[in-house]
Amino acid sequence: MKAPEFVVSATPHIHSGNSVRKMMLNVIIALIPAIAAGVYFYGMGAVRVVVVSVISAVAWEAILQKMMGRKVTINDLTAVVSGLLFAAILPPTLPWWMIVIATLIMILLGKEIYGGLGCNPFNGVLVAYVALKISYPEAMITWTPPAGDIMTELPPLQVLKDEGVGVIWEYFTLKDLIIGRVTGTVGEGSKILLLIGGLFLLLRRNFSWHIPASFLTGIVILSGILWMANAEKYASPLFHLLTGGSLLAAFFLATDSTTSPVTLGGKLLSGLLAGMLAVVIRAWSQWEDGAYFAVFMASTLTPLLDYIKPRVYGRVKASASS
Amino acid sequence: MSPGSFSGGICLSISDANANKPFERIIPSGVVTIPLRQDLGGICNAKVKKGDEVKVGQVIGESTGPEGASIHATVSGKVADVIKAYPHFSGGFVPAVLIESDGKDEWVGLEGSADPMAAIQQAGIIDFDIKPVPLMAKLNEAKSRRANALIVNAMDIEPVLSSRSRLLSERVQEVACGIDTIKNIIGAASVYVAVDKGASQAMSAVGSACGGAATVVGLTPKYPQAVDLLLVKSILGKEVPCTEAYCVADIGALVLSVETVAAVGRAMADKKPVVDRFITITGANGTGAKNVQVRIGTPIKEVLGHCGISVEGMGKVIAGGPMMGTAIGNTETPVTKEVMGIFVQHEKEIAKYDSAVCIKCGLCVETCPVGLMPFIISGFSEKGMYAKAQANDIFTCIECGCCAYVCPVKIPMVHWIKFGKAQIMAQRSSE
Repeated sequence: MKAPEFVVSATPHIHSGNSVRKMMLNVIIALIPAIAAGVYFYGMGAVRVVVVSVISAVAWEAILQKMMGRKVTINDLTAVVSGLLFAAILPPTLPWWMIVIATLIMILLGKEIYGGLGCNPFNGVLVAYVALKISYPEAMITWTPPAGDIMTELPPLQVLKDEGVGVIWEYFTLKDLIIGRVTGTVGEGSKILLLIGGLFLLLRRNFSWHIPASFLTGIVILSGILWMANAEKYASPLFHLLTGGSLLAAFFLATDSTTSPVTLGGKLLSGLLAGMLAVVIRAWSQWEDGAYFAVFMASTLTPLLDYIKPRVYGRVKASASS
Repeated sequence: MSPGSFSGGICLSISDANANKPFERIIPSGVVTIPLRQDLGGICNAKVKKGDEVKVGQVIGESTGPEGASIHATVSGKVADVIKAYPHFSGGFVPAVLIESDGKDEWVGLEGSADPMAAIQQAGIIDFDIKPVPLMAKLNEAKSRRANALIVNAMDIEPVLSSRSRLLSERVQEVACGIDTIKNIIGAASVYVAVDKGASQAMSAVGSACGGAATVVGLTPKYPQAVDLLLVKSILGKEVPCTEAYCVADIGALVLSVETVAAVGRAMADKKPVVDRFITITGANGTGAKNVQVRIGTPIKEVLGHCGISVEGMGKVIAGGPMMGTAIGNTETPVTKEVMGIFVQHEKEIAKYDSAVCIKCGLCVETCPVGLMPFIISGFSEKGMYAKAQANDIFTCIECGCCAYVCPVKIPMVHWIKFGKAQIMAQRSSE
């Protein structure tokens, strides 16, 4: 028998062209405007945080993968995205060495130690965030207020925690909250740009709508219940949506593919839980913002939520009558 | 009635722009190679020997059982050889008859029989679909399970193919005759013809040819809508209970491709057996698509040559479409009853799948038309954990390839799932 003239392989013979690199590139495009807004409001401090975070994340990934004898995969841009996302949730004043230590934690304990991309149970960005938040709580709430005429130099959720719900709408205008002219982390400020970025990712099918929608719904439901029960004590759902990490977490962190559930039911439940947890932390814990913690904790439930399976076509055991 | 759709599936990027070209007839000039097994029935017994003179339509391979499909000569001329072991493109070896054409194209018709079942058996008709089951077997199955809905599938399985929709519009009389015959055989109460939504011409043509006996259903041409499991769900609103070997007749339906129905019409009206296939030939990059009516046994090389497609620099030749077709090793391979189309890829176009780590993005779960979790099944098969793969319904998989198509890390999921199924079957038969 003659040797084959042509390639023979299993189906399918074509591919959509989708790749991790493309998905990561989309995230970068979606996140850059929000970070640029941060740079606009907080100045060079924000630039420094972004540059240090991205470069150190990529460097740690290359170094660790070399040391572990793995293929160096910095070309898939996951380290760049991790660095960018991490910078987005840091205050613009953070010392450079803290960032470098944190990105080591991010890449090592959040990714490589488990076997690299796809094997990590937690989002590395959030692992590093939690580590910094616990190790250096003071540095993590040292802010640069935005330039110009503002009523307070504290972030909105800090004001809510310290001075109560009565003053928040005096201190912050709706417009400032939407465009991000308030004190906060590098990337979480500009809600409108985050929303546009998130919708862009949705359009490019980086993730399905289930997690962002259910996360935001979770926030609205619980904060709405509290607000209706006692509007003197608890802020309105609108305030919760437009402050802190609500939108950044909903579109960029809770949707991390590896650490979120894969099925639609699991996604909805995970988002809902994380959103409600965020409000719980904001309302009753020592931390002013719970969005990132909530996503981190919800990811621990992912293996469990993955048991929620889609309905299989023509399953004989289950309701055959349908 | 409003035909439903299914969740998942994909809209393929390869366009349908060249579709609907009229069929060009290809009659081979040299030697044709006719394998004696061209369906999922058994191997046919050779009825000719080297040196015999044969005419078009003469039986050269007789089916062994009552449910098989005989195989006929497709050119007139002299039997050049009868080979015991000819490589079949899907693996394995089958006997084959080589006929050297004398160029006269002389015919012998079918004997003719009043009994339509006998006529179908003589004509060697199979269901020209992904699973090439002899038509007799399908009809008997439908009769024994009292199927009362006949669905004629005139939607092309893959978007690059257009032969079915073209066949329906060109040969609507044959189709109508075939529908009538099959309807009487199984005693169907209702007949549906599934076409692409928007094919209004075909709709009205079928409507008038069948005289209202058939309901034409326009469905959104989303891949893989034309697979029978999804077709019955969309048209009848019922799901086929998926045990390991599912059977659409279980919910009272018989799904036949439009080419099958047309072949029945031809056997009844013209007394002609199956000697042609109506297929779509697509060149590199999805260009130069043509519909051809080609004699069975014609080397694929000759078909490509007729369509002006050069194999220079080509990397893959696929029997069928790019999503579910079988890659074939060389172009001496003849067109057989199983070939759904021919799709050629340039070396640079070949999609490279590789073993990679799943990032659990969930795209495959979202896109799976039968509600499976492909990455889990594929992962278990890859690791040899077949019991777990079975617990996750590996046998419900229709191997449509949507999961691998959308996968960002390019895991060859269909490969692993097929491998897993084969391993489970092999384990079972050794027990």
